[in-house]
Amino acid sequence: MSLVAGPGRGGATQATESVPLVMDKHIKYIQDLNERKDEYEYWLTEHLRLNGIYWGLTALHLLRHPDALPRAEVLDFVIDCMHENGGFGAAKGHDPHMLYTVSAVQVLATLDAFDEFNQQVGDGTNKVGHFISNLQVREGVDAGTFAGDEFGETDTRFLYGALNALSLLGMLPLVDVPLAVEHIQKCQNSDGAYGLRPGGESHAGQVFTCVGALAIAGRLDLVDRDRLGEWLSERQLPNGGLNGRPEKREDVCYSWWVLTSLAMIERLHWIDGQKLIDFILGCQDPDIGGISDRPGNMVDVFHTLFGIAGLSLLKHPGLEEVDPVYCMPKLVTSKFLTGTTTKS
Amino acid sequence: MVDYGSDPAWSDVVPIVQLDGGPNALAQIAYSDEYSEAMSYLRALMAANELSDRVLSLTENIIRINPAHYTVWLYRARVLLDQNRDLRSEIEWLNPIALKYLKNYQIWQHRQTIVDKLDDPTGEQEFIRTMLEKDTKNYHVWSYRHWLVKRFNLFNKGELEETERMLDEDIRNNSAWNHRWFVVFSQDDSVWKDPGIVNRETQFAKSKIQLAPQNESAWNYLRGILRNSGTPGSAIMGFVLQFAPIDEPEKIRSSHALDLLADIFRELGHIEDAERALDLLANIYDPIRENYWTYRKDKLVISVDS
Repeated sequence: MSLVAGPGRGGATQATESVPLVMDKHIKYIQDLNERKDEYEYWLTEHLRLNGIYWGLTALHLLRHPDALPRAEVLDFVIDCMHENGGFGAAKGHDPHMLYTVSAVQVLATLDAFDEFNQQVGDGTNKVGHFISNLQVREGVDAGTFAGDEFGETDTRFLYGALNALSLLGMLPLVDVPLAVEHIQKCQNSDGAYGLRPGGESHAGQVFTCVGALAIAGRLDLVDRDRLGEWLSERQLPNGGLNGRPEKREDVCYSWWVLTSLAMIERLHWIDGQKLIDFILGCQDPDIGGISDRPGNMVDVFHTLFGIAGLSLLKHPGLEEVDPVYCMPKLVTSKFLTGTTTKS
Repeated sequence: MVDYGSDPAWSDVVPIVQLDGGPNALAQIAYSDEYSEAMSYLRALMAANELSDRVLSLTENIIRINPAHYTVWLYRARVLLDQNRDLRSEIEWLNPIALKYLKNYQIWQHRQTIVDKLDDPTGEQEFIRTMLEKDTKNYHVWSYRHWLVKRFNLFNKGELEETERMLDEDIRNNSAWNHRWFVVFSQDDSVWKDPGIVNRETQFAKSKIQLAPQNESAWNYLRGILRNSGTPGSAIMGFVLQFAPIDEPEKIRSSHALDLLADIFRELGHIEDAERALDLLANIYDPIRENYWTYRKDKLVISVDS
């Protein structure tokens, strides 16, 4: 999966009317990304490869083409990224880290491949579960949060990722969930939104990770829904797009993080959904596929996924339903999470 | 640039070439020879777990080509921390790279590792200032700054003045507003019982609102102070009315003022006035969020009923 931007550009065709969702073009665009290994930038973006597989594969599932990538090849690639300690690197030979490990678990779940994984890697899922749970900080001022790797950087992204992956694996009891919840509460700011660590500026991406983690923990009751909902809905700009922080520009990926957070606290209708749909559709390259951060910029697989996921959440026809907590197809998460907390 | 293949300093290393992508792999390695060669030497050194000075020169070259490669930074940090290497010169080397790759976050994680080990923040505040001059809202830099202030207890070492200076430059810089909150209010809850500080910060927010009445950040700051200090909104009603004179709706200058005014009316039990303010928001001043304002209005009625 290439993480290279382009070749297309969002809003490449100057349309006066709203553009339709060019599903076939997006499918072809993502398939082609998997073949672009002759480009220099393909190798410069190797440190994101496994995340890229998750972005591309999930987008294809939401586009209802779950078999558009070669399954066996994807599975081999993922398994090759695994280390003896149960963590995954971005690609073979890269150090293990929470962010890639979560992508690996999401891809394995989406491919329904936990059993095959365990057959090929003895005790595979158990090792993964322990890699993740060992990264929880159990004491001190940061108690409850998670580090990204052995070097100890902490971030609510890692905390969310840990709960996401462990819940898919059915291994949440390996970690201290109440302690994680306590940490998230410390990351809440006076505006009702959340930052990267206690004291960090409120940021839509961190709101998604904090609220998502609370959803998985079954503790959405702790969210001040009205205050957070007001901050989140304030993110919509007159052009319909959403920004990630006050006074920043709109962006398709922030649109997803704001939107999904609003969905989790049942306040999705507080923004103008139609205007956001038009904004996302206007970020497509209607000729060769792909979605960009905003009109006029190069498309990439990351914004393609979050654009499509946003449209799915806004009930755009033709798309598979997305689970707002996991950013995965609901068909997939419902298989692994029966009886847990993903209702929304 | 170094030609590792012919440099005697590297003649003992057998590079490990990566064959990625199946049978056509060799044909696919058309990407930069320089990067590919450096990476193959890196794999060889890592495989041998070498912690030598030449690791530093090799990772330096790779980072110059591709500063986002996480593993390269980790390996470099491991070598630096392994023996007593000169960490000051590492910081000096790091500065221009940080200024060149503004969006890169590995650089900041690396910097944190080095400065933590140095156990000395000298020069860091100055460098942060230089960074923020180029990118005033850079989240990595602000996060690093939080860490630095806490790690070395710099709360009273010019941070407040620095937020004031930055807000003078851009009154809408939400990162600077957040940092001010962090510096003033995050250390100890007893600050809310100190009327000197609460008043000073209230005045600060008000003075900035006067300059830009439609600035979300300043209003959020003010509302945060009211909420945490337990000050009723009615205490600043006169101030709010300046920007949202509800009896002369055409003169309203701030949707945030109108929003706060609706809350003050509700607090005072003036439900019809609150409804009027919320209607103005839904219909004229913030119609994109019509559903939100309608929700607020419905809630007024519920709170009266119950």
